[in-house]
Amino acid sequence: MIRTGVDRQPWGAILAFLLPAFTVYTALTAYPVLRTFWNSFHKVLPRNEEYLGLANYAALVQDEIFWRAVRNTFTWACISPLAEVSIGLLLALALYARVPGMRFFRVAWFTPVLMSYVVVGIIWVWIYNYDWGAANALLRWLGLGSLVQAWIGDPKIALPSLVFITTWMWSGFNMVVLLAALHSLPSEVIEAAELDNCGWGAKLWHIIVPLIKPTLLNLLVLSFIGKMKIFDLVWITTKGGPLWSTETVSTYLYKRAFEWTSFDLGYPSTIATVWFVIVLAAVLALTWLFRTRDRLEY
Amino acid sequence: MGRILLFAVLGLFTAFAAGPFLWVATMSVRTTTEISLDHYAWPEKWHWDKFPAAWFNSNYNVYFENSLLVVLSAVAVLTVVGAMAAHCFARYRWRTNRLLYFVIFSAIIFPPQITIISLFQILVQYGLYNSLVGLSLVYIAVQLPLTVYILESFFARIPSDLFDAARIDGYSEWQIFWKVSLPIALPALATTVILNTILLWNEFLYAVVLITDDAKRTLPLGIQRFMGDQLEDVGMIATGLMIAIVPVVLIYAFFSEKLIQGMTAGAVK
Amino acid sequence: MYTMRLVLSLLILCFASSALAQVKLTLWSHWAAEKIKRDFVEDAIKRFDAANPGVKIEAQWYEKTALYAALKTALRAGTAPDLFYAEPDQVEYMDNALLLDLSPLNWGAIEPWAKDIWSYKGKPYGLPLEAWTVEVYYNKKLMADLGVKVPASLQLDAQATTDVAKRARAKNLTPMALGVGDRPFPGAHLTHEALLKKLGVQGYDDLLQGKLSWSDPRVVETLRVVRSWVDAGLLPTTFTTLKLGEAHGYFHTNPGAVMFLNGSWYTSRAFNPTDKGGQPANFQLGIMKFPSVPGAACNECRTIAVGGSYVANAATKQPKQVIAFLNSLANPEMGNRWLENVLVQTGIKADYANIGGPHAGYFRELGATSQGAKYYFGLPIQKMQGKPKEVFTQVFNNAFPAGTISVDEAVTLMNAAYGKN
Repeated sequence: MIRTGVDRQPWGAILAFLLPAFTVYTALTAYPVLRTFWNSFHKVLPRNEEYLGLANYAALVQDEIFWRAVRNTFTWACISPLAEVSIGLLLALALYARVPGMRFFRVAWFTPVLMSYVVVGIIWVWIYNYDWGAANALLRWLGLGSLVQAWIGDPKIALPSLVFITTWMWSGFNMVVLLAALHSLPSEVIEAAELDNCGWGAKLWHIIVPLIKPTLLNLLVLSFIGKMKIFDLVWITTKGGPLWSTETVSTYLYKRAFEWTSFDLGYPSTIATVWFVIVLAAVLALTWLFRTRDRLEY
Repeated sequence: MGRILLFAVLGLFTAFAAGPFLWVATMSVRTTTEISLDHYAWPEKWHWDKFPAAWFNSNYNVYFENSLLVVLSAVAVLTVVGAMAAHCFARYRWRTNRLLYFVIFSAIIFPPQITIISLFQILVQYGLYNSLVGLSLVYIAVQLPLTVYILESFFARIPSDLFDAARIDGYSEWQIFWKVSLPIALPALATTVILNTILLWNEFLYAVVLITDDAKRTLPLGIQRFMGDQLEDVGMIATGLMIAIVPVVLIYAFFSEKLIQGMTAGAVK
Repeated sequence: MYTMRLVLSLLILCFASSALAQVKLTLWSHWAAEKIKRDFVEDAIKRFDAANPGVKIEAQWYEKTALYAALKTALRAGTAPDLFYAEPDQVEYMDNALLLDLSPLNWGAIEPWAKDIWSYKGKPYGLPLEAWTVEVYYNKKLMADLGVKVPASLQLDAQATTDVAKRARAKNLTPMALGVGDRPFPGAHLTHEALLKKLGVQGYDDLLQGKLSWSDPRVVETLRVVRSWVDAGLLPTTFTTLKLGEAHGYFHTNPGAVMFLNGSWYTSRAFNPTDKGGQPANFQLGIMKFPSVPGAACNECRTIAVGGSYVANAATKQPKQVIAFLNSLANPEMGNRWLENVLVQTGIKADYANIGGPHAGYFRELGATSQGAKYYFGLPIQKMQGKPKEVFTQVFNNAFPAGTISVDEAVTLMNAAYGKN
């Protein structure tokens, strides 16, 4: 007698399997989220908590530093994915042309992704050093000494300099994923689109891109989410300066919660709540925008 | 001609991607004085003694051990707990299955800020602040959604005949999980283990908020030890960076395929 | 019978020793890297322990940022030490009733203005151990090499300062070492001292409290003067990332600068042994006043700030011993010892005229720059809170001296921070 069917589920087992995961989830994810919501309506001090209603939210609307941080983070999260994925695609196409040494390139280009943002941050602070950093040294060596900048000291170019770092880091990752996606396509279609002198741009746009569109969109969304969360890199390189040009919501929140001369955790919680809503809305908007109605069957 | 141009571009990009690490590697065996004279010279004297110096004299062994303890324990518990939940979501059907799965899965997009303040309060309240146990627990919670997501899609692909056959043979549900699901899912488990290890080894935000005691620091925090008050000790920082990178590089050297698969899992559609 | 007597005497011994049981006090402090200050405090602890058998103070030494981080969480968690280092701008401690009221201290031995700085709602909360003024240290040899003669008044004027900057740059020297990589106050010295001189004590206070607009012509003129110094290349190119400790080394060791704008606590790092960041043995140290500005209301005005102080945890279990320790510091003998050894001013009343010891010469030079001075008590960041403080730090500590924003932009930002337009 074979027992199948929805009516005879081993509830004991199901419960046992789910309990550990849900205990951890409830205690350390769900409950903290709710508590942050609660905090946002209070002034949370070491000795007492005072109900404030919407006062924190009202203050947040006026907080120019917060909105600057939101703009910075959104700029980063919109530009970086486009750069990373495009470069990744170009690199993948370059390798797809069966270049010898492909395995080596694949391994070499993937390495930046493995490193902690702390390591990457420290290295790039050195690269961006005005006096002896690699960036300016290279410019001087090329005779372009007039173009040397204080890459992370100048408010006008600090954010683009950081965006450059994440692009450097993630292009390899995107390349690897897209290469795998390209390899999984049927070869007849691709043969027609081999990189050659004329018209490869059109072949690229009209044939290859639509075929790997789901992967491309997926990568864009992943990158977008990743940049919305970014903290480590900014903290190690500029800490949000100079003049809030690289202030992200995460660094601003950390400063308000742990570095301002106040013990209040209520206002930072308000920042966290509003940001949470913004991120969710953005991700939902993106997924709706990128929904693929047609599944490509081949 | 096109070929040569292609190679040039590829070569340049490789220099671009791997160059910084090569630079740090050379700096890690030179002293700060040598470096300040010429930042880009190839090391003429290889100061391998800097590594033991960083390890023993600057508490690096402590930081390394802390990282090892926290990451290994978190990944171990995470894999078991995550696999159990993933198996359950994949193999059993009940009304709230997809809802509960969504609840856990959706946490992947939560920005850490929404939980960090409350986690700080909770850990302080229960005396787990500044403790490796507290940090491990937080890490488990942080990586759980991703783990469940990756494993669930794998478990779901296992043909159900295997499970039916096992049931006929009288296996209990737990035995089915342990003896049927897990062994088949070993490749996926391996990739999630590697992925989680690397992500948690490099994790910084939760560690910086929840650990302030020097003796409990993990490596990403410990690297900052050399960024002290006085002249930036570039040479020692470089050595410290290499120590932090070494485990990851080792895993990469042996498991590059698995690693790449793991980190790109779910991105290919 | 015999055993009973033995047991009885053992019991009596136990009680007696428990009555003499060690009371332990914990103290967390900054200055881990500043040897002479650390030595002074540890010496004070030793004296106190010797004078009070049964009480032992355990000190833990930190770097400032690490200390503040540890304290914030420890105070929240209730695991904070009995005594700790604090500076008067940390009003959040007093706002949240985390500090012990120090009224029982021997305030007769403390300078009244220092007590005022630590007063909150009429009660004092800190022992003002360190006080300091903003000085311009300079390398006598380099200054002579540039052909500049420091006048007898010890004060260059604004034009002469620009001149020094140009001459130094012509010889590929950095005119003035200064770095804001890890502190929120050093860069601002360049601006606030100038503003203080131009506006005088009352005007400057009004400016910081938001009662005077930053668009006031005197303010704008002063900012333009400061900007002219910056434009002449006064500060290092690595100004924004140079750390405080590094800036010291930049001035006296490598690569060497002509001047160094720093608090008078310069000695607590510079007089360390050279391998710990101290200045070279034959370094010719000179001190002069901050440059005068044209049309100033008060060129002899200068800032004096209370720096490192010790406060007590309101939740301490040994309030009496804590007060006793702080009192052991609040007397002229300790004040003089601080002066002689640490060579920085103090909030404790001390005899500045009769300091002896191996560095008496340095102290006389330091005294010379304060001759006839009128004091303003407190740094801007100690006087401001919230948004204005944050904007002031970003603008005048970092961006303005770095030359990345203009005078008008700075004025606009500051006015906006105070809610003016």
